[in-house]
Amino acid sequence: MRDLSGRYAALTQRLVDSVLAAPGHTPSELRRAVLTRAAASLPFSGPHALAPSPSSPPGPLSLRERGNGGEDLPAALVAYLDKVALHAYKVTDEDLATLQRAGNSDDALFELTVSAALGAALGRLERGLAAVRGEEGPR
Amino acid sequence: MRLRAVEHRHRLAQRLKLTLIRLVSGRRVPDVVKTLLYRPELFGRAMCDWTQAVMRGPSEWSVGERELFAAFTSRLNQCVF
Repeated sequence: MRDLSGRYAALTQRLVDSVLAAPGHTPSELRRAVLTRAAASLPFSGPHALAPSPSSPPGPLSLRERGNGGEDLPAALVAYLDKVALHAYKVTDEDLATLQRAGNSDDALFELTVSAALGAALGRLERGLAAVRGEEGPR
Repeated sequence: MRLRAVEHRHRLAQRLKLTLIRLVSGRRVPDVVKTLLYRPELFGRAMCDWTQAVMRGPSEWSVGERELFAAFTSRLNQCVF
């Protein structure tokens, strides 16, 4: 992530490294792409909405473009990961069952879900800290 | 818990911990604990260290205040804290 300075930098970096680099059922590059996409997503609407930054549009970004080796993810998986990042409470049993029927193992789904959740968390943390510093946007 | 692996397929060491937690607490183990103990080298170990430092380590904020921040954040996320 971009802004890992501060008291918890080392612990945050170790968390990111372990999620991205631990041996698993999905390539590290894919986990990184999922994390990066989630970090750019903008949660919340209504009274607590965070103003979107003009410099970081949350618009569609292809995982292929983010350098995961040319692999493209099925739309259902991307939709699920966006749901995890933006409003995880909307995830249903059926979402997971559909992805499992499509051949995704529990371990692969676990890895990608954690990557999306961590990315969303870090993106929100970064925007929150930027707001505290009086900056308008995350960059 | 929607992923069966995270519900039931922990390794022996983690399964023993889960059993111990269940016996001592007399309750079903919370899903968040099962998640943290599933393949901890990928997520749970580093997450627990991070959480411990942030929520209980040295800070200008009291433990109670930090817990309040966490509860408020969870509410925004519509997640029961």
